[in-house]
Amino acid sequence: MGKKSDATVSGLITGKELSRRDFLKTSALIGCGALVGSQLDFARGLIARVEAGELTHAEAYELLKAENTLYTVCLNCNTGCGIKVKILEGVAVKIDGNPYNPFTLNPHLPMSEEINKAVKVDGAICPKGQAGHQGAYDPYRIRQVLKRAGKRGDGKWVSIPFSQAISEIVNGGLLFKDVPGEETRQVTGLKELYALKDVKVYEDMAKDVAALRKLKKPEEKAKAVEDFKVKHAANLDKLIDPEHPDFGPRNNQFVYMWGRKKGGRSDFSKRFYETFGTVNGHGHTTVCQGSLYFASKALSEQYVGNTFKEGQKFYWQADQENAEYILFVGANLFDANYGPSNRTPRITQRLVDGTLNIAVVDPRFSKLASKANRWLPIKPGADAALAMGMIRWIMENKRFDAKYLSCANKAAATAEKETTWCNASWLVKLDKDGKPGPLLRANEIGLKEKETRKDKDGKEFEFEYLVAIKDGQPVAVDPNDDKEAIKGELFVTVELKDKEGKPVAVKSGLQLLLEASQEQTIAQYAEICGLEPQLIVDVAKEFTSHGKKACVDMHRGPAQHTNGFYNITTLMYLNLLVGNFDWKGGMVVASTFNTDGTKSDKQPFNFKKISPKAGKPFGLSIIRHDAKYEESTIFAGYPAKRNWWPLSSDVYEEIIPSCADAYPYPTKALFSYMGAPTYSLPAGHTNIEALANLERLPLYFASDILIGTTTMYADYIFPDLHYLERWEFQGSHPNMPIKVQPIRQPVIAAPVQIVKVFGEDQPISYETVWLALAEQLGLPGFGPNGFGEGQPLTRPDDFYIRMVANIATDGKEPVPDASPAEIDLFLQSRQHLPKSVFDVARWQKIVGPTWPKVVYVLNRGGRFDTQEQGWKDDHMGNKYGKYINLYEEKTYKCKDAFTGKHYHGIARYVPICNTLGEEPKEFSKGYELHMITQRDVRMTKSRTITCQYLTDSMPENSIIIHTSDAGRLGVKTGDQVRVSSATNPKGEWNLLHGNTKAMIGKVEVTETIRPGIITFTLGHGHWATGASDVTIDGKVIKGDPRRAAGVHANAAMWVDPHLKNTCMIDKVGGSVSFYDTKVKLERV
Amino acid sequence: MQKDILLTMQEDLERALQKPAAKRRWAMLLDLRKCVGCRACTIGCVSENKLPPGMAYRPVYEYEQGTYPKLSRTFLPRPCMQCDNPPCVAACPVKGPEGATWKETMGDAAGVVRINYAKCIGCGQCVPACPYQARAMDEGNFHTEGTPELMRYESMPSFEYFQKQQRTAKHQPIGNARKCHFCVHRLAVGQLPMCITTCIGRAGYFGDENDAQSLIAQVKKAAKIQILKKGAGTKPRVYYIANEKLEVLYG
Repeated sequence: MGKKSDATVSGLITGKELSRRDFLKTSALIGCGALVGSQLDFARGLIARVEAGELTHAEAYELLKAENTLYTVCLNCNTGCGIKVKILEGVAVKIDGNPYNPFTLNPHLPMSEEINKAVKVDGAICPKGQAGHQGAYDPYRIRQVLKRAGKRGDGKWVSIPFSQAISEIVNGGLLFKDVPGEETRQVTGLKELYALKDVKVYEDMAKDVAALRKLKKPEEKAKAVEDFKVKHAANLDKLIDPEHPDFGPRNNQFVYMWGRKKGGRSDFSKRFYETFGTVNGHGHTTVCQGSLYFASKALSEQYVGNTFKEGQKFYWQADQENAEYILFVGANLFDANYGPSNRTPRITQRLVDGTLNIAVVDPRFSKLASKANRWLPIKPGADAALAMGMIRWIMENKRFDAKYLSCANKAAATAEKETTWCNASWLVKLDKDGKPGPLLRANEIGLKEKETRKDKDGKEFEFEYLVAIKDGQPVAVDPNDDKEAIKGELFVTVELKDKEGKPVAVKSGLQLLLEASQEQTIAQYAEICGLEPQLIVDVAKEFTSHGKKACVDMHRGPAQHTNGFYNITTLMYLNLLVGNFDWKGGMVVASTFNTDGTKSDKQPFNFKKISPKAGKPFGLSIIRHDAKYEESTIFAGYPAKRNWWPLSSDVYEEIIPSCADAYPYPTKALFSYMGAPTYSLPAGHTNIEALANLERLPLYFASDILIGTTTMYADYIFPDLHYLERWEFQGSHPNMPIKVQPIRQPVIAAPVQIVKVFGEDQPISYETVWLALAEQLGLPGFGPNGFGEGQPLTRPDDFYIRMVANIATDGKEPVPDASPAEIDLFLQSRQHLPKSVFDVARWQKIVGPTWPKVVYVLNRGGRFDTQEQGWKDDHMGNKYGKYINLYEEKTYKCKDAFTGKHYHGIARYVPICNTLGEEPKEFSKGYELHMITQRDVRMTKSRTITCQYLTDSMPENSIIIHTSDAGRLGVKTGDQVRVSSATNPKGEWNLLHGNTKAMIGKVEVTETIRPGIITFTLGHGHWATGASDVTIDGKVIKGDPRRAAGVHANAAMWVDPHLKNTCMIDKVGGSVSFYDTKVKLERV
Repeated sequence: MQKDILLTMQEDLERALQKPAAKRRWAMLLDLRKCVGCRACTIGCVSENKLPPGMAYRPVYEYEQGTYPKLSRTFLPRPCMQCDNPPCVAACPVKGPEGATWKETMGDAAGVVRINYAKCIGCGQCVPACPYQARAMDEGNFHTEGTPELMRYESMPSFEYFQKQQRTAKHQPIGNARKCHFCVHRLAVGQLPMCITTCIGRAGYFGDENDAQSLIAQVKKAAKIQILKKGAGTKPRVYYIANEKLEVLYG
């Protein structure tokens, strides 16, 4: 029995007296002000009054006052719970949950509840949220622009004026002539990259490039390139490479990447980079659970005309309030998973009462597993084997919902009270080897001809019917036909005849799934999983014993493997087999109020109409997303140099290494925002090396709150605002059944420097950087007439206050007006905010008559439907409501860029492989422990280390290992061990310039993990973020050793042997391989 | 539609505050079947009461039992038990109704073991007296100590015992013994203790257990209740529901 405490209670008093003055004498980061000295006297005055009995208890407790309370949204993790921030003398002193927001109270208070009553209710938030203000008041925050004064990453900086930094980045030149070795290095500025500006030329070129990509024969393609060069001779200088027009214009050589970014800030940057004309704006999705997103995108692709498109980048999660059974796969919702505060209270009482049964699939006996009815300690990466084993049993025992699956179109679904339907009954053509290929079209067998139809904009398109078998005969299927119901046969293997009478072998989608599931026996699947066969059967039986109130809810666990896409798809098949989508107790989609004004005519600011007319960026992106290798002008057979991503985007692990490889083209400037890829990516050390490459990355500037583990390699760092100081629209997560739009708004002033951009005073921020770049470049859509004549976009709030007005007026009915008393409170509670972030007159002028509604939502931290609106009879109130792919034609049509083989239209279990399709057996030799990672609710990946309440509770993490493995290695709890792997045999981070950080951590021996597996929690072991010393303007700022504590073993994760500078990847869904590496531990 | 139990318990509080102190009995009940070990209570409390590094009024202990794959994990939050027979009070040399620590009988805090920081001499004798390690000395450390700047939020006041407590220099509660007080400053204004209101598993119950209508009374009545260290004779006001025997786990 182990006993652990998270807090050591301090001993007897030592008599040590600490003077506040001692602290004041310590050095402060550049540009920061001294402490306000009068606070003590003021406070002592109040104490005297209380002691004299002049104040009531309620008066004395100043944190309960509405005028001291502001509602906003947390961002210490991406759950984004609603918070109320309690403010004294302009200082955020306490954070609790916003009771209007369903992430912290279940059910939450309706928006109609009076503010004065709501102020008394503190909703529940997790420890990271509770410690949130420590991130804002982090002594290591930067306040001015820093420019490197030495080599990239050597920790030497000078502070420079904001305007100088902007001017250097825009104009380029000998920017680092004072740095030894860079005396003559010319840096290209953004001005030069803003090459192609003529919208007409832009669109014309884009059209020609699109046509060129579709040409299949090399000689046709070569000719098209020649034609292109002739036609666009006057503008070839604006291309990256005229021999490869599909690279697009030089504008694409500006690459912008981000880590954590939400609505609002996304729109702000998009306005810039789309107007600038670069295709290279890339997010971080694949480091989180990319293959969950992109597998769900593939499932949601819609049949339009004769092809599949418009898939949503999203996913489903379970309706925890009503499901009777949930199989959680690699989902650790008491620690993470968007997230603890909202998901936990929706199930704990139900688990106690027994109204909900859960089974947890995880190699770790996680906190969730400890509350589960069943624990399946699966081998990492075997999730699809489990799913396929279950599918096989469910199919062979006829435990699927045949009524649902046979709905071949919308009309059939509607007749069954279903809001979704799938292609289980549609026919798929087989090739000569019997392998499935494209779906059969009705015109191919002379069943029904193509039709010319008109879309909602009146544009004509060609529509081809698909085919199912009904009553033994082929019938033409229009998936979205809502009049004539077609229920197709589910298990079809038949030979039809085409128009010429040639045989066409076809099978139905469900037949193909049955056959795929039968590729292995349940015993074989169980062997792959490392589980008992009977367990698979039992779970399959349980899962199919609750009608539509059973769910498979998954997260990072199955997604972050090289086989992540197929793992997720097979798990989603289980949901399809019981047809639980949109049903109460089934799978849920997120639902949010709209911000950009394109949803309803009642919204005052349609951003499509108030944005500049610019050509849509074109050309290949640096990460080659949304593009097929075979269609490019650099197709040179297999394997490709790097992967191509026709099914995924925001492929984080591709961005920096692709720049380093100049594949497909060289990058000139990189801008990163709120991300730490060197820290957060598997094998993140490869990104450090890439960032140091001056030739391949001539200019790198960053927006960050401090000198981070990635931004320490930048040329310039612009200080950003903390989440308590700025705007954003958090959106929602699929486990939230209520439609919401939480609004992040400034609740405290920022400590950063105030600068002038477009004549407006504003704290330096992410938006300020974009605005200043736009000002210098003369980019349309920004400045005094940014939103139209006399309508300025010169400050961040010009943008966001319009979006708030749109949120307030979205939906059938707008929110009510705030009463005059509420408007007074709104003003009173913001008295501490400077005009540079809170300018009532300006806001009122912008939103006009919507003003009282804007106040109404800001006073409540966003807009939220009521609990009752979450469900309607037996269904969810907010629905997915459309077709789902069981057989994925679009996926099938994409080819593996390394082998040239088609991807699987029906997902299945595939083993862990490198990009060349080889199982990494060599890498495993001598490295016998399988390393995975996990989250602890007290840490997010890279930003929570700044919160001392959290590090005090969890000073370090550890290498968690099973008793039997520890015994074999002769290590015990507390021993220090080094983690190494075949691709990092030294077991260290190379931080450059002779600096290394060993991957050494403390062992924690436990029974709560599958033998053979080790894990560590993410969030510790930093080498920057305040963890190490830096020199600013010649002055050394000492780092805080608490931030360096613990171990971060991502650098042990395998580097792909073909890519060489990138971790292993899921070639289909984009995810990084987080859980596939074999390591060894050596005692130090 | 059911209410969030946080709202139900706040309604219970309102009712309880109307009663005379003598008729009311503040109590806390922790259902460990719903505790997910997140430590929101620990840290919410640290922030609410401005606790120095290394001090937690309400740590959460974690226990693992069994061998793979037959396992259990239990999380046990441990606030002050607000004992009806508090050994810490007995150990304090500053005695009497005007003493440094006592079991309150009057007002909104009735039933809570209080400390008067102004009277506490910092001798530390109460600390080892508590069988639950619920007391600790405030040595005057700060979380941002050792960084480039001591941040202002740290020296802003807490509101313990209805007073602004400004932790600066030698000012109380620095140098004093400190402990959980059920957030009486919140109770008095109808708010739940911080640990209860920020419990994401809704494992915590709080209220007047003399009020049969209160949620805590109902939950207590319906379940098998355990207390920590029954043998110590301290008569705790903090109750537990758990699948495991806590006297085995906690000792």
